[in-house]
Amino acid sequence: MPIKVLAFATGPRRHGNSETLLDWVQASMGEEPGVEIEKFALSEIRVNPCRGCNACETLNRCVQRDDMDMLHDRIVEADCIVFATPIYCMGICSQGKALVDRAQVFRSRKYVLKLPVVPPERKGKRLGIFIAAAGQKMEYVFDGAILSVKCFFHVIEVKDRDIEYLLVRGVDAAGEVETHPTAREDARATGKRAVARLREMLASPGAG
Amino acid sequence: MSVRVLGISGSPHRHGNTETLLDAFLEGAEGAGAAVEKVVLKDLDFTPCQGCNACHRKDGCIVQDELTPLFDRIASADCLVLASPIYTMGITAELKGLIDRGQFLWARKYIAKTLSYSRDHQRRHKGVFISTAGQSWDHVFDGAFPILTAFFDITGFEYWDNVIANTMDRYGTIRGHPTALAEAGEKGKQVVRVIGKLKGEEAPPRGKS
Repeated sequence: MPIKVLAFATGPRRHGNSETLLDWVQASMGEEPGVEIEKFALSEIRVNPCRGCNACETLNRCVQRDDMDMLHDRIVEADCIVFATPIYCMGICSQGKALVDRAQVFRSRKYVLKLPVVPPERKGKRLGIFIAAAGQKMEYVFDGAILSVKCFFHVIEVKDRDIEYLLVRGVDAAGEVETHPTAREDARATGKRAVARLREMLASPGAG
Repeated sequence: MSVRVLGISGSPHRHGNTETLLDAFLEGAEGAGAAVEKVVLKDLDFTPCQGCNACHRKDGCIVQDELTPLFDRIASADCLVLASPIYTMGITAELKGLIDRGQFLWARKYIAKTLSYSRDHQRRHKGVFISTAGQSWDHVFDGAFPILTAFFDITGFEYWDNVIANTMDRYGTIRGHPTALAEAGEKGKQVVRVIGKLKGEEAPPRGKS
């Protein structure tokens, strides 16, 4: 069985710094045998914001019909979910926040309807990777984004301890990440570590 | 001149807990004599920031839509009240959409350096954040605060206070909350009194010159 990786570039600017980091991670993972990667750029598809209607608490699905329909099953089926965002104004970009908030359907399934988000045997066998690029260099520039991303991963059954982080500060202008002293190597290492962890997780018996 | 209070609701649905709390704040402000306006972001047609950084090179945002005049209204308010429920430990995509579009102000302030607010200006302009969260965690608003801090900084408002209520799942609706609505109304009054007093100082009678 191949390792299925689902990656989201959520920034509005194609091939910007966070997407470049994602591409580097993706390339590093893709060099490994048996890894299948599918990437979506949110700017090329349509994921509306959550309407806050709470209908998913009874319907077990979202009332909105957009590209979240096709992403839903992919999110459930993936072994690894990668979320890449630029930091805008101390948080995830608005477009990425829309995707995070649309995971509400999983939260309702898990906590309101008490239904499984993934089959029991796959619990504890899912890895998350959070990639972010910030123009600012403040120590706490990613803190707000991490709070939201942890929730996103939590409701789609990725445990806190199973999230890998690739956070790069001080890159703002287009292509600036290319000049960062360690980003490319860090991205490569993140990809390798992720595949190694996934192999270990998927080989281990039972729920983690 | 009366104190101008602009409330912006960033909730995707109407008359929910957060907007009700905003309404209570605005009623309090109106009762204290303010000229009050409310904008519901979900009714505006706008796109989020495109991350093009054009505003870093040339003044202003290249996207012209219904947020364009809203930024003018923000600039002419004495008190800016931003309201959003907490979704997934952060503000809604709608309010984040507005905030991210403020990048052109950030560029004016920090790149072109054509925009600066005096300490006195910021003292006379107050920013308030109104929010509700279903979760009971104390840190449920922590992801939102730095975003608001940054936006008030580029729009020239002193981050004056929050009106926040968590554990809303327990109370059902904000109307069941023991203190939140009263607190919102009281803070609405208070901010108008404070700004009114500062505005009184704004134009002192001409002395002997």
